Amino acid sequence: MNESSSAIVSPESTTAIGGQARDASAITLTNLHKRFGHDAIALEGVDLDIHAGEFFTLLGPSGCGKTTLLRILAGLEAPDQGSLTIGGHPVTDTPPHLRSVNTVFQSYALFPHLSVRDNLAFGLRMKGMAAAARRQRVDDIAEFIKLGALLERRIDQLSGGQRQRVALARALVCEPDVLLLDEPLSALDAGLRSQLQVELQRTQKRLGMTFVFVTHDQEEAMVMSDRIAVLDGGVIQQVGPPADVYERPVNAFVARFMGHVNLFEIYAADGNQAHTALGWLTLPRSLAPEERKGVLLIRQEVIELDADATENANALTATVRERLYRGSRIEYRLDVGGVTLMATASNLGQRLHSVGDQVKVSIFADDIVRLDA
Amino acid sequence: MRTSRFRRGLALFWWLIVAFLYLPLAVIVFYSFNAANSAAYFAGFSLRWYQRLAHNDQLLGALSNSLILGIASSLIALIVGTLIGYGLYRHRARRLGWLIVLIYLPIVMPDIVFGISEMTFFVTLERHFGVLGPSLLTMIIAHVTFQLPFVALIVYSRFVGLDPTLFEAAKDLYASPWQRARHFLLPTLKPSLIAAFFLSFTLSVDDFVISFFTAGPENATLPIYIWGAIRRGVSPEINAIATLMIATVMLAAILSLLFNRRDRPGRDS
Repeated sequence: MNESSSAIVSPESTTAIGGQARDASAITLTNLHKRFGHDAIALEGVDLDIHAGEFFTLLGPSGCGKTTLLRILAGLEAPDQGSLTIGGHPVTDTPPHLRSVNTVFQSYALFPHLSVRDNLAFGLRMKGMAAAARRQRVDDIAEFIKLGALLERRIDQLSGGQRQRVALARALVCEPDVLLLDEPLSALDAGLRSQLQVELQRTQKRLGMTFVFVTHDQEEAMVMSDRIAVLDGGVIQQVGPPADVYERPVNAFVARFMGHVNLFEIYAADGNQAHTALGWLTLPRSLAPEERKGVLLIRQEVIELDADATENANALTATVRERLYRGSRIEYRLDVGGVTLMATASNLGQRLHSVGDQVKVSIFADDIVRLDA
Repeated sequence: MRTSRFRRGLALFWWLIVAFLYLPLAVIVFYSFNAANSAAYFAGFSLRWYQRLAHNDQLLGALSNSLILGIASSLIALIVGTLIGYGLYRHRARRLGWLIVLIYLPIVMPDIVFGISEMTFFVTLERHFGVLGPSLLTMIIAHVTFQLPFVALIVYSRFVGLDPTLFEAAKDLYASPWQRARHFLLPTLKPSLIAAFFLSFTLSVDDFVISFFTAGPENATLPIYIWGAIRRGVSPEINAIATLMIATVMLAAILSLLFNRRDRPGRDS
């Protein structure tokens, strides 16, 4: 499906999926603990508030606990400790089939013995909805997700992208309070993936439903989410909107995970000056005594090449060691007195620097962020 | 050149094996249609031995015993074996694979040993408790014991071939435990269950040794009847029964294969 075909919902639709969404549900997690066996800690004291109607992403490397957290929300896993409410109702001990929560699984988990239509109707049928109403709802969702032509197919006749859509529709048709998505795009190729990212985000906005999305891909998380929680080692490292998490990561782990590479340890600090492997750098403000350790983050894209040094900017001289041509932008691996600094420049068609060139590097003090190690 | 000679050699080898497997059967089938009462010459096509079968009360009794035994034991084995297969799958994390070996062991025993053991066991029970004297019931129990592992294995391997998240998807989509069994487990298993039934039935109809030792005097099955009859010489009538049995068993085996195959297409989804 291309962008233009994600049409407006038909006004005749009678269900909540077609019409305006009902009230979305908020989620509260309090002090959740979970371990597998003796030493494998999956979650350690997770406190989290997910707002009603928000697109919330759990982001982290594999084994960080994000999938365990999602499975606890679905009821497929029970926490060792802690509690969970959805829409204000405590559901910690509610089995999955009694929770108004549906999941889009990573493997899609479509029933091979059922047609697409029967897969979509499965949840409604289990809830005891009458056949006629079921049919109507399935037809509506099929129109909404653009599945009409596939309804009578068998599952093994669908492509990966089609299966992904069926899995999404099968969960949405039940109109749950919360929709959980477990890396639903990871099996798709890059093109289809970015297209479905946009579609998923639009679907969520149109329905106003609470979405909890799990991924290990930080770009995917930033494109789609209202807020992101970054997890590592079963602990939430940072929660915030994509721009916050990307531009002001709270620690070196989050910074690295968001794709940053220019992190320099603070050796010493004096006023608004900090000494690092790059030399003394001017910071936006003086560091408090307890801040005079940790690391400095210099995002690749804030580094200016060939700019004349102005006030409030750090000027360095560097040698180009490597040039990576990425089409819309160019990445340089620079050498500053034996220390590597990565810089990204937009490809504006200006003269490219070559390997071996000496370049002037300018970094505004305001663009340098201090973080905990 | 060498390759093609090698391939022709392989083909010849293959057809030799097929001949050894099927020619003896073909000979029996052929003589069952012989007009003469002889295996020495063929006197023309005739169905007279088949007509004779229809009036042989002893044989019809044996046939009905075989059918009752086959169907009853297969149904019991199907239910119990399915539960075992599902249990093994559900608790596979606990490494209970050796359980299937435990169930499997008795049937890799020589049939005659197993048959004699069963007989001794039932006779002992009868002597001390007055239950389970040789009868159709003891035969059914004996047959179920060797059918079980096959059913359990078929069911288990069907489950292992499924995406485990399907079980979670069913829970996630509001199915209660009972609904999961009815709307997910059973429909998913159906082809395997039919295959397992036909395989069990074939095994039961095939069996002579274990039936022989566990049967009461009234419970001769078809193989037992045939064995008794050929002590008086192989008659064309026996050929006709054998032909019917060959047809029945082949049909059941083919059905079993077909239904087991039906599992495959949806497997990766």
